[in-house]
Amino acid sequence: MSSSIITITTFFPTVGAIVIMLYSIIQLRRGKSREEIRPHYRWIAFIVSMITFVFSLGLLLGFDSSKSEAQLVTKLSWIQELGVYYHVGVDGISLWLVLLTTFMVPGAVMASWTFLKRVHELMIFILILETGMIGVFVSLDLFLFYLFWEIVLIPMYFLIGIYGGENRIYAAIKFVVYTVVGSLLMLVAIIALYYLNTQATGVTTFDLVEITNNIASGKLVIARNFQWWMWLAFALAFFIKVPLWPFHTWLPDAHTEAPTGASVLLAGVLLKMGTYGLMRFNLPLFPEVSYQAAPWVMLLAVIGIVYGALVAMVQPDMKKLVAYSSVSHLGFIVLGIFAFTSQSMQGALYQMLNHGISTGALFLCVGILYDRRHTRDIDEFGGVAQRMPRYSTMFLITAMSSLGLPLLNGFVGEFLILLGTFSSTVPGAKWFSVIGGIGVVLSAVYLLWMIQRVLFGRITKHENEELDHLSIRERFSLLPPVAMAVLMGVTPMLFLKASFNSVDSVRAIVESQSSRAAK
Amino acid sequence: MQFSNLNLDYFSILPEIITALAGVILMLIDAFSKKAGRKLSPMFSLFALVATLASIIALWPRASYTASFAGMIVNDHLRLYFALVIVACGIIATLLASQFLDDEALPPGEFYALMMFATTGMLMMASAGDLVMVFLGLETSSIATYVMAGYRRTDLRANESSLKYFLLGSFSAAFLLYGMALTYGATGTTNIEGIRQILIAGKVIYPQMLLVGVAMMLVGFGFKIATAPFHLWTPDVYEGAPTLVTAILATGPKVAVFAAFLRVFAEGLGTPTAPAVGAQIYDNWINALAVMAAIGMTFGNIVALAQRNMKRMLAYSSIAHGGYTLIGFLTTEYAPVGFYMLTYALMSLGAFAIVQMLAREGDAKTEISDYAGIGFEVPNLSFPLAIFMLSMAGIPPMAGFMGKFYVFKSAWVSSPNLRWLVIVAIINSIISVYYYLYPIVVMFFRPPVSDFTKPRLSPMSQLALAITIIGTLYFGLFPNGALKVLQQKTPGAQQVAVQK
Repeated sequence: MSSSIITITTFFPTVGAIVIMLYSIIQLRRGKSREEIRPHYRWIAFIVSMITFVFSLGLLLGFDSSKSEAQLVTKLSWIQELGVYYHVGVDGISLWLVLLTTFMVPGAVMASWTFLKRVHELMIFILILETGMIGVFVSLDLFLFYLFWEIVLIPMYFLIGIYGGENRIYAAIKFVVYTVVGSLLMLVAIIALYYLNTQATGVTTFDLVEITNNIASGKLVIARNFQWWMWLAFALAFFIKVPLWPFHTWLPDAHTEAPTGASVLLAGVLLKMGTYGLMRFNLPLFPEVSYQAAPWVMLLAVIGIVYGALVAMVQPDMKKLVAYSSVSHLGFIVLGIFAFTSQSMQGALYQMLNHGISTGALFLCVGILYDRRHTRDIDEFGGVAQRMPRYSTMFLITAMSSLGLPLLNGFVGEFLILLGTFSSTVPGAKWFSVIGGIGVVLSAVYLLWMIQRVLFGRITKHENEELDHLSIRERFSLLPPVAMAVLMGVTPMLFLKASFNSVDSVRAIVESQSSRAAK
Repeated sequence: MQFSNLNLDYFSILPEIITALAGVILMLIDAFSKKAGRKLSPMFSLFALVATLASIIALWPRASYTASFAGMIVNDHLRLYFALVIVACGIIATLLASQFLDDEALPPGEFYALMMFATTGMLMMASAGDLVMVFLGLETSSIATYVMAGYRRTDLRANESSLKYFLLGSFSAAFLLYGMALTYGATGTTNIEGIRQILIAGKVIYPQMLLVGVAMMLVGFGFKIATAPFHLWTPDVYEGAPTLVTAILATGPKVAVFAAFLRVFAEGLGTPTAPAVGAQIYDNWINALAVMAAIGMTFGNIVALAQRNMKRMLAYSSIAHGGYTLIGFLTTEYAPVGFYMLTYALMSLGAFAIVQMLAREGDAKTEISDYAGIGFEVPNLSFPLAIFMLSMAGIPPMAGFMGKFYVFKSAWVSSPNLRWLVIVAIINSIISVYYYLYPIVVMFFRPPVSDFTKPRLSPMSQLALAITIIGTLYFGLFPNGALKVLQQKTPGAQQVAVQK
């Protein structure tokens, strides 16, 4: 039981999707009208996602934070001819990301409650997406990872394309094409890695753990220039997904057009697939090259931090503002990963969770206003706090957590990242850390400015005089992330402890190679 | 190499016998009772094809490199595997045919008979051990498919397609035949294994003549698998032929030609270490094919980007898929080609089947814009089509991805010279994503057209569709079984040859 918990968590949403499909077929055959059964789909999806969350809590129970390697492992032979295994497990890094996923999905389902058309397809897409996202984080086989990585694409494509705004087709295609460019090159790198490993050890396998161990133990030595190519192929896929400046242009489009639920998942979880990939693949597989590339990556990261913040500042559209703030915040995470200190990498992981929760919640907040007014222009609002006090409190807390107010989660992550980067041995890290610090200030500027214009002041538009209070559903969708933001801000060690060993082992691999790389 | 023993092993040609006989019987059924024929013919065809399938499986334990009929027939794993795929294509096409013939009120008898004869020809190509046999099989299947392409007699487009197909098909057959004749002249034998022996022994009589002969055969095969630069007939023929026939043209014959192509080139001329002209020929055709693969993929994909007609788009996409397959071909193993052809056949048949159902009578609606907004009107067709498109684009967990992956992996592992082709193929896959997504965009993201009515689906068509969808997903997720079968090598093929 304990070893199959990951498999259950991963595939339970798919089972739920199949249930919804069958339910709709059966009920429509029985002559029920679509209107009549529409709420049922939502409830099934909601319950399934909640049960998945409960399952994922089981991971937490079975997890031993004193170990650094993957736990609760299931390894089954899948395609023997190719050396592909169904190999899943969680370590301190993926554990929290899985939990983040299962935590965000119920919120996304609730945010999608108001759709009146194509409801059951919507729920099916969200649930399949959940399976894909969890799968990405738990797979320990290169092939399996790639499979889940691509599976995530399809439901998101449909979510944006069917349920999105006016420019949805453009945004959906851009999203897919960008991702595919990265991921197919990654596929070549995976094949090349497989080939080199087979050549070096004689074992045909795509198993990540095995290959990583072979590299760490020196059984598999890859020529430096080849390492560079493969590192680039992996990194490009992840940089696009993160998105790191200058690969970010798909993100604002996708976010603006996506429906709220999809935005929540896109910002909350999908972007973390990129940073997770960097931590899981680039660093342990090519430690030398990672160390050498670190200054350049950090340079891109800080450009992203400042650029994202500056562009966010001038956005008239709330959703676009939050989207660009993601570019900025994700820059911090990449900065932390490539500083290779224990603090910075822990901070990066923590910031992945924070960003997921805070930005997810920000998108929920924007979505709530959009549902009422069908516009997201900042100019259209003002004085919302007078009509919606509870909402405004939550929005404010969320924004504060996003900009890194102490005692809220964002502070912990950003502080760790900047501290760790400052003490990093990577050339130029101190400067990058300082510039990153400017990003923190800028994020306060654009978020507070938006808050001020939207929530406070006098009501200037008469449409805003009649804004409804938060419904129970909306309250329940906002409360968990807000509570989590406070909890993670107050007791970070609760979370950091479990990931410490895993993160540190990745750092140790890079450090052991950094002396070689410096030569 | 002399075959003193004719070795008339009728069991080894049982599949061909069954399909040929079935073709004759189908014509007789039609001749005696037109009315009963409409109901009886599809059932009988299916029955015959299933029997063929069974006979192929029964032949499996006997797989060996011993040639029968004086070296004309080879019953090894390559033959058996490809025969299996060919017959599977035939079964799916037969399931689809009954609705097509009913909807269009076309005479059923001849169609099934032609399909049987075409299948016979294809099976012969797969089992050919001799150039003459390759040609015989090719012509048998081609002539049947020429007629099928023009089966909607009153339709001008179909006539044009049929004529074009016939003219260019004959043209390429002439190339092939001339190439075979020159090869015979240069080596003194038409037996493929014999040619190989002569190359290894370095006993080629006229090396220059052999070079020309091989080049001409390459052109002939290039035409038949529709790879660039010999692809020009494909879009017109695919567009003009009735969609069901297009589905058949794009799958079965292609699979069969690849089987014969493998036999002649990868086996017969796969002699990298042979002295003198043998190695030279090997290098030449490998290089030529590598270029053809690169051009085929790139050209197919780029032109497909501009297509607004579904059938034309699929035609160009099939050119591109031919290019991918050639990468597998260049490993000179049959496994990557075999697996890619399996996945390609499944998704192509599925996609064309849906195009046919949506096209209605006379192929009236084959523009992609005709699909606007049908995504949620006919989810039972639109979602499968989306699956096939994503599969062709190479997105997991569909079979198309697994096929590509296997080809790329095999090529990467087999030779460093092929790696640039893998990179080209990857870039092509990226390009192709764009146009494969286009039908999905139109179907799901655009507002529906007002005059859309749901097409009729006969149970048989539904069954065919179900087979292709399940196959596409199954081989995408669990390819192990198929790959295992493909790894089976006929024991000692090379050694037996050397001992003789």
